[in-house]
Amino acid sequence: MSFFKTFINSPVGPKTTHFWGPVANWGFVAAAMADIDKPPEMLSGNMTGVMCVYSALCMRFAWMVRPRNYLLLACHASNETVQLYQLSRWAKGQGYLQMKEDKTPST
Amino acid sequence: MATSKLQALWNHPAGPKTIHFWAPTFKWGISIANIADFAKPPEKLSYPQQFAVTATGIIWSRYSMVITPKNWNLFSVNVAMAGTGLYQLSRKIRHDYFNEEEAAALKE
Repeated sequence: MSFFKTFINSPVGPKTTHFWGPVANWGFVAAAMADIDKPPEMLSGNMTGVMCVYSALCMRFAWMVRPRNYLLLACHASNETVQLYQLSRWAKGQGYLQMKEDKTPST
Repeated sequence: MATSKLQALWNHPAGPKTIHFWAPTFKWGISIANIADFAKPPEKLSYPQQFAVTATGIIWSRYSMVITPKNWNLFSVNVAMAGTGLYQLSRKIRHDYFNEEEAAALKE
């Protein structure tokens, strides 16, 4: 019970914007998960590529900002993962990842 | 005179030597990607993605004013994100809900 109270009253807790900013960024992860089975032609290479670089930078930002924000770090680590996956799907759909026929696929 | 002002900017706690500069600067890429996608037909836009972009932009405009150091670059980029997200959402909603009425009217 007291752990819960500590969380509620923490300087990065749900009474503060330091909590809700990162919660909003989980929206990117949720959106990517919702679009996980979308046909690759419908994915935006622009947006997905930008997200990959962006989440990498934001992981560093979350670490360096004061107060340090682990929720934001976790969010962008997740987003990086799912956006890289979507980027690979998009790239394959565009024909960028086609190698020689005899090469063993990595997945 | 100009040198010292530039130096002040260069050495600023949210300046170009720090992640506090580059993360928000790169965030402009999201709005630029979205603007590039203005040309995309509305059927290809993603509701979840545009909603996430808009909501993020709005909440982060507030967040950027309460972190240390205060970050005007982050503030402006999130305002832009919310703007492009709202525009894309309006395009898709208009296409999905208002064109249908027109198409139905035409059929009759």
